[in-house]
Amino acid sequence: MSRPEGPHSNMTYLDHAATSWPKPAPVVDSVARALVELGGNPGRGAHALALSTSRAVFEARRTCSELLGVADSRSLLFQPSCTVACNVMLKGTLRRGDRVVVGSMEHNAVVRPLARLKAEGLKVEIVRADSAGLIDPADVERVVRSGPTRALICQHASNVTGTIQPLGDLADIAHENGAILLVDGAQAAGHLSVDIDSIRPDGYAASGHKGMLGPPGIGLLYLSPELEVAELIQGGTGGGSSASSEMPSHRPDRYEAGSGNTPGMTGLGAAAGLLAEKGDSFREHSSDLMRQLHEGVLDIAGFRVLGPPPEEPRVPLLSIVHKTIEPDRIAFLLDRDYSVAARAGLHCAAWAHESVGSLAGGAVRLSVGWTTQAKDVDRALCALREIVS
Amino acid sequence: MSAVAAERRTYLVLGFATTHQALDAERVLLECGVTAKLIPAPIELGGALCGIALRVPAEKSEEAENCLSRASLPAEATVRMEDY
Ligand SMILES: Cc1ncc(COP(=O)(O)O)c(C=O)c1O
Repeated sequence: MSRPEGPHSNMTYLDHAATSWPKPAPVVDSVARALVELGGNPGRGAHALALSTSRAVFEARRTCSELLGVADSRSLLFQPSCTVACNVMLKGTLRRGDRVVVGSMEHNAVVRPLARLKAEGLKVEIVRADSAGLIDPADVERVVRSGPTRALICQHASNVTGTIQPLGDLADIAHENGAILLVDGAQAAGHLSVDIDSIRPDGYAASGHKGMLGPPGIGLLYLSPELEVAELIQGGTGGGSSASSEMPSHRPDRYEAGSGNTPGMTGLGAAAGLLAEKGDSFREHSSDLMRQLHEGVLDIAGFRVLGPPPEEPRVPLLSIVHKTIEPDRIAFLLDRDYSVAARAGLHCAAWAHESVGSLAGGAVRLSVGWTTQAKDVDRALCALREIVS
Repeated sequence: MSAVAAERRTYLVLGFATTHQALDAERVLLECGVTAKLIPAPIELGGALCGIALRVPAEKSEEAENCLSRASLPAEATVRMEDY
């Protein structure tokens, strides 16, 4: 596996949950090609350069759709980020007076749009996760049934505990009770083999630059073909529809107004192609490293690991809390003295930390990725041992 | 200028709502053995469609339309044109 180049080449990068780094060569090449060779504006104009660029975006969307199990690639929208995708799926479907049920492990990409909607008259019911960050479908069902529910909202995997939520059960509960299921898949896409057609969410937002290994500045949003979702942004979509002052109703155009991030789209397409080929081996690699990391941390006295025990599945991140040393101090020392990159704090997810009892000081999160090696994990474990000794 | 005027050919031009659909239709047609050319959408298709259209030789019209309807990708509008 290729090592990063440049001034940070000696760093032990354990912050893949924030963003994957370095990016795979096919992704870098695709971004460069988009900047150098595919300079046209996709969907705008029919000259050869615009057509080649449109084709590259079309192919990228199809590759991403195939990877994520989306049968009709028109239902998979390119968005500037998972955060924007969450905003579109929430604000485009929920109205004043609606009641929603949401898990307590959500990231601010969901919590904050919901707070805004709540101020405008949305009723929000929160289902508390257990101490491992897991949302219990029985609890969800009870709350969903206690009143008319427009939407059940739940992440696929937690960015704090790595917990994987039981989406299949949640989809059943939502649909049996006339609700839609809206999912934040930021930490799942790429790290898990996501099959949207079998999960059956009505909306699924994904980050392009984390487990998907794409460039920053790109995300994905799946919207079920049956679901009416208001677009958040109005503007140009190219072509002859320019004559109308109204947004077109067709997908993907309705949700992609404005000139898009072509290098981001094609780069993400290249990443999806790579994951289709090598995703299983990346996942196996990550889970070996996670076992090593998890067991190694449990061997160091004084650490508590948030989330599921080592034998249970999780996405490849581990948040840890020491009984006396603050997380931000540990992350600072890891970086300064050992060149180990880890992220301390609340990880934009105060609700989740509150749920698992780490709101007061947060945690140090270590997250592995496709380029992490066993010796990187050893290095981090040695550093942690020295820091707390 | 060519001394001999080229033979004028008739084409079916197919218009779609989105660039994505036009490109999808191009792909589907190719799978059916019909080579379609992407062209700027002519005004005759009406104003509400995307900026690119597909052009197939007139003698391939039926085959092309059948192929697209089997794939649930029918054109939003079609027009017969000469040498566009
Ligand atoms: C669970 C979760 N949701 C949403 C997001 C937002 O993703 P992005 O920053 O790519 O918009 C993140 C990013 O950290 C996340 O971890």
